[in-house]
Amino acid sequence: MKKRVTGIPDPVLRLGIVFICFIGIVLFIRIVIIPSPLKETGSQRTSAIERELSREIYFAGSDICSDCHDEESALNRSGHHKYLSCETCHGPALEHTEDSEILPSAPREREFCSQCHTYNLSRPTGFPQIFPIAHNPLDPCISCHDPHDPKTPEIPGECSACHAQIERVKIGSPHFFLRCITCHETPEGHKIQPRLVSSTKPVEREFCATCHSTESRVEDTPKIDFLIHGEDYLCWQCHYPHRPEIEK
Amino acid sequence: MSADFERLAAILKQVTGYIYPNEIEIHWSILIVVYPYITGLVAGAFILASLVKVFNVKEVLPTYRLSLLTALSFLIVAPLPLLFHLGHPWRSFEIFLTPNLSSAMAMFAFVYAWYLMVVLLLEIWFEYRTDMIAWAGALKFPSNLFYRIISLFSSDTSEKATYFDKKAIKAITVIGIPSAFILHGYVGFIFGSVKANPWWSSVLMPIVFLFSAIVSGIALILLLYMVITPSRGEQLDMKCLDRLASLLLYAMIVAFSLEGLDFLHRLYESEESIKILSDMVINRLFISLVVMQILFGMVVPLGILMLVKLARFNDELRKLLYFVSAILIQIGIFSTRWNVVFGGQMFSKSFRGLTAYKLEILGVEGLLTALFLLVLPFLILALLLKVLPPWGKIINQDASVAS
Repeated sequence: MKKRVTGIPDPVLRLGIVFICFIGIVLFIRIVIIPSPLKETGSQRTSAIERELSREIYFAGSDICSDCHDEESALNRSGHHKYLSCETCHGPALEHTEDSEILPSAPREREFCSQCHTYNLSRPTGFPQIFPIAHNPLDPCISCHDPHDPKTPEIPGECSACHAQIERVKIGSPHFFLRCITCHETPEGHKIQPRLVSSTKPVEREFCATCHSTESRVEDTPKIDFLIHGEDYLCWQCHYPHRPEIEK
Repeated sequence: MSADFERLAAILKQVTGYIYPNEIEIHWSILIVVYPYITGLVAGAFILASLVKVFNVKEVLPTYRLSLLTALSFLIVAPLPLLFHLGHPWRSFEIFLTPNLSSAMAMFAFVYAWYLMVVLLLEIWFEYRTDMIAWAGALKFPSNLFYRIISLFSSDTSEKATYFDKKAIKAITVIGIPSAFILHGYVGFIFGSVKANPWWSSVLMPIVFLFSAIVSGIALILLLYMVITPSRGEQLDMKCLDRLASLLLYAMIVAFSLEGLDFLHRLYESEESIKILSDMVINRLFISLVVMQILFGMVVPLGILMLVKLARFNDELRKLLYFVSAILIQIGIFSTRWNVVFGGQMFSKSFRGLTAYKLEILGVEGLLTALFLLVLPFLILALLLKVLPPWGKIINQDASVAS
């Protein structure tokens, strides 16, 4: 070896051979051994797409349903379930589209609707939720609600019908005796279309001052001087009104 | 499974305020604390070694080879805490074979490989080449074959070849310094770039990590030098010790200033997270941060080293004070890593609550595993010191003294 070979210093040559061997082994594994799909850097591997495409298809898609079931389809698109596909409830329907004798499922049991509508803390406020044990037990949901256009048969009388969580928080708070509409102006439309018609929140500090200002004549409430307390913030930006932390 | 629930229930009792459900259990365990601690020691030890070759700090020459071997033994163990933490450690080599250029964590594998193979192993090989040739010539089979193999059958010990070795070592060290900075700066970078976590997200994080790494590395070499040299029946070189202590002091001043700057910056910025972070420091990290990290890990050793610098103590007292300082620094730097890793996971991202860390004793992510990983580099170092003694001699039953 040494300079006889190339004029490269002996140690460099020896180390070079070791490094070339090492890099060669890595490249051999990388180029020859690793299958090419594993080397793709895109977000989806082509082979994965091919594999998925080769799977048997079960779902027909909701567009094709409206070709025959135009009435139900139109009703569904105008109601609260408009973002649900037909097959969400009726199951895979490709076979039904090819052979009308094969009927898709039509769930009628309470457990099916309960999957989405049982009360769950994590669901958004305003989402219709019930306690199945307390809410018309044993009656099938469809006896009162049309699943294609689910409406409550009657307008809810109490706010707690939808805002059960807040109601439960308020029970343990000094504001328990205040009715919701004391603080929230609630148009009638809110009970029918809660997401389109909103109720209001107090936007003036004076509103809370009616009970909590030092000048207030309301008895047995915590009092503060609104001129020096809280700067320009609205009261509910610091105090949670459904369970105000400060109690007398 | 029931044990998992029991652990969760136990942690849940310590949760205060409001936290999200997936924040109750801390997933980055003590192993993730051990990892930056070990890489810090690697970077620190190497930077100390580079002082000899690049910056010509002659006084610390007795620790040069020891620093390199220490860096190597800790570097070998550095990925183990991560591998133990992974669900499928046997798949880890895939990050080399199918590189993901957009992942900082994945690219670290290349930083590690670069540092191990191009910097440390090369420098050690050049440093020991002539010694290995001598050992191969003096020892009997199979030791001589072993040294012939690791010297890559090199045999040239001429003046010219030795001169080339020195040049190569200097060149590698020059490359090695930024590499060591990247190696440990990267760990800080990983934490510092987590935008959603105000405890971690800071551009100062890589720099803070780096300087704390230098501090811990120098302190470790000082400790090892003070333990190994007397155990070989030799005298400690007080000039070397004093110089190491001075370097340690300067590095600590920079590290302390940077940490203070980071702390002040956070306080002055007073972002919305400041309340929960203050709450966490006072109620969760008080012992590990205020007492262990700042007081015992930084202020006390800093005070001791300054005192030694100003006063004229005799050799024995200086040795004792250096030793105590170095141990305190190790505890302090380990606490630093602890506070960074757990601090970032103890507060809720809702900024309204805190969770707690329950250290397991057994189990893969437990205390015993962490202790094993902290002891393992010393065992590897003992082996390396046997195979590649920094003092250039090999005592063997076959050949009494070679080289």
